[in-house]
Amino acid sequence: MKLLVPVKRVVDYNVKVRVKADGTGVETANVKMSMNPFDEIAVEEAVRLKEKGTVTEIVAVTIGPAQAQEQLRTALAMGADRAILVEAEGAEPLGVAKVLKALVEREQPQLVILGKQAIDDDMNATGQMLAALLGWSQGTYASKVELSADGAKVTREVDGGLETVQLKLPAIVTTDLRLNEPRYASLPNIMKARKKPLETLKAADLGVDLTPRLTVVKVEEPPKRQAGVKVGSVSELVSKLKTEAKVI
Amino acid sequence: MDMMMNDESRMLQDLVQRFVERELMPLEAAVLKREAETGSYRLLPEEEAPLLEKCRELGLWGLDVPEEMGGVNLSALDRLMVEEEVSRTITPFEFPPDSPNLHMLKAVATPEQREKYMVPYAEGRMKSCIAISEPGAGGDPAGMITRAVKDGSDWVINGRKIWVSRVPYCDFIILMARTGEGKREEGVTAFIVEKDTPGFIIEREIAMIGGKKTYELVFEDCRVPESQVLGELGRGYAPMQLRLNIRRLQVGARCVGIIGRALEMMIDQANNRATFGVKLADRQAIQWWIADAGIRMHALRLMVQAAARTLDAGGDVRHEASMIKVFATETAQEVLDQAMQCHGAMGMTRELPLQLFYQQVRLMRIYEGPTEVHRMAIARRMLKSRGSRS
Ligand SMILES: Cc1cc2nc3c(=O)[nH]c(=O)nc-3n(C[C@H](O)[C@H](O)[C@H](O)COP(=O)(O)OP(=O)(O)OC[C@H]3O[C@@H](n4cnc5c(N)ncnc54)[C@H](O)[C@@H]3O)c2cc1C
Ligand SMILES: Cc1cc2nc3c(=O)[nH]c(=O)nc-3n(C[C@H](O)[C@H](O)[C@H](O)COP(=O)(O)OP(=O)(O)OC[C@H]3O[C@@H](n4cnc5c(N)ncnc54)[C@H](O)[C@@H]3O)c2cc1C
Repeated sequence: MKLLVPVKRVVDYNVKVRVKADGTGVETANVKMSMNPFDEIAVEEAVRLKEKGTVTEIVAVTIGPAQAQEQLRTALAMGADRAILVEAEGAEPLGVAKVLKALVEREQPQLVILGKQAIDDDMNATGQMLAALLGWSQGTYASKVELSADGAKVTREVDGGLETVQLKLPAIVTTDLRLNEPRYASLPNIMKARKKPLETLKAADLGVDLTPRLTVVKVEEPPKRQAGVKVGSVSELVSKLKTEAKVI
Repeated sequence: MDMMMNDESRMLQDLVQRFVERELMPLEAAVLKREAETGSYRLLPEEEAPLLEKCRELGLWGLDVPEEMGGVNLSALDRLMVEEEVSRTITPFEFPPDSPNLHMLKAVATPEQREKYMVPYAEGRMKSCIAISEPGAGGDPAGMITRAVKDGSDWVINGRKIWVSRVPYCDFIILMARTGEGKREEGVTAFIVEKDTPGFIIEREIAMIGGKKTYELVFEDCRVPESQVLGELGRGYAPMQLRLNIRRLQVGARCVGIIGRALEMMIDQANNRATFGVKLADRQAIQWWIADAGIRMHALRLMVQAAARTLDAGGDVRHEASMIKVFATETAQEVLDQAMQCHGAMGMTRELPLQLFYQQVRLMRIYEGPTEVHRMAIARRMLKSRGSRS
């Protein structure tokens, strides 16, 4: 069974993000970039499924700038077999989903595993949009995936508990934090990744129009959090919640 | 961030950063507590074993071991990048095997010596140390008087060595001794001496600052066969220098890591501590500490990288290694002092890693050649380069 894993290049989760002076976005010049952590979980899950024997090939893809091949190399070092870079800057979730649909039609995978969201814009949309465009079933926020030849049983993290769904293949899965703990790419595998194939395409090669449909009006930092106050007693707390915070 | 780094180096850096963050940093509190309470600055076997296991799993083993011995044979540039990353933590851990003697062995060992010592060393089954310094000859090791005399097909060694590190854990030592009539550098030969050789006596253990221990060794009619001569007879000085050059670049890379950590701690403290109603971050005195530390750390990293590139291209880095050693240790010492100062009384505690880093850097200003000796060597070369009229 073939598996497609889309990964995104984002600002590293350890970096304190700064808004650009002109308010058009966040500063990415000279900032450490990494693979979106949820996508690392997706790659890890794919590699585990391959180790179990159900999956025969893992194709990692990214839609991003030329430098995003760094993240593809990381996916290859973690265990993906080959990679595809679709060069495009600033694509929106719908555009990305359209590119992925074109790649799915070309590659014919039985399963696509994506991160539930990317930590840069937290859209939480691409997986669902791709499922809709393809008309495939979807299991989002997965904390457990059991794959067989004809279906996938996915445990989902939902409000108030866990929900288990049985999906017919082909299907879309998006990963949640607790699905697995991604491995480190070992040094020998880092060296091997260099020899794995990495193909570069343009969105136009796939017949996809990535013209933006959204307009960013303004990007600004969240307001600074006010210092907290210590209360002396429970009754003081309750009275503050009533009169000041007005939440009860 | 280095934009010129290739994909493999970047991924290696990522791997090492994660190893440091997730495996070594969590041990810091225990390491500091133990050092404060018992004076011992070493990992317990049960702390070290899982780390070594993890290193094997991740291929972080034999980073500068030749490929034919199953090693990775990293470039000096990558090796020093790894050194910088792992030096950000005070947890004492080296990616196995400890490497500097390896470079000397690599340069001069015979095929038999490679088989007998270098292979097990590379695989982590043997450890080694080096004995150069003597009570009367440290910063000027060419003044050494320990002597080996040929007797039949053996060599008989007599003399005294001091300040030797790692002795209890090593299986063999590389011993420098005089074999010829030559003066100073001439006539110095390297020997491989196994630890249980009769006449090899561990005279005493010497407690140093920073939880370190060194040893005084006595050689009394210590007899070794001809096969233990390492490299050319009477020409042991050059490969020994090679070993020291690599150590000096390592000192440079370690100081970059240490400065980076101290600087981060200083910045966090400045951003979060206020006195007289004003944040430390808003005081120019503190701002200049931070700015100067940043400038010098950048310069130092570039110095180390440039020397590493020269070394990788087969060039000689003796001069650069001296410059790096002086600049790295003096800068790190000053930045650590300011980071401690910036933390007030907290900076004086043995709960923060700063004081232990400070002691480690203090030691670095002596070993692998004291600062003043390096300055002398740098100046001599520069003065000679233009000659004199008289
Ligand atoms: C922690 C530690 C570990 C060590 N491990 C080892 C080891 O494993 N193996 C080994 O062989 N040795 C080891 N050494 C020894 C180390 O290499 C020597 O201490 C060092 O070379 C200095 O020699 P010395 O102590 O005899 O000082 P000296 O040579 O007596 O120098 C003392 C001081 O005199 C001044 N000075 C000396 N020469 C000059 C000059 N030309 N111009 C101006 N000032 C000068 C400097 O301030 C210098 O610090 C270790 C030392 C330490 C501290
Ligand atoms: C060994 C020891 C014994 C002690 N014994 C006692 C004791 O018996 N009783 C007691 O009450 N206290 C004691 N102290 C506490 C000592 O008085 C304080 O540590 C000291 O006043 C500094 O305060 P702090 O540690 O809170 O540092 P902070 O006030 O936080 O200052 C930290 C650093 O910030 C910088 N800084 C602060 N203000 C300014 C400024 N305006 N401009 C520029 N830079 C600034 C300085 O570099 C300073 O070192 C002791 C401390 C030590 C180390």
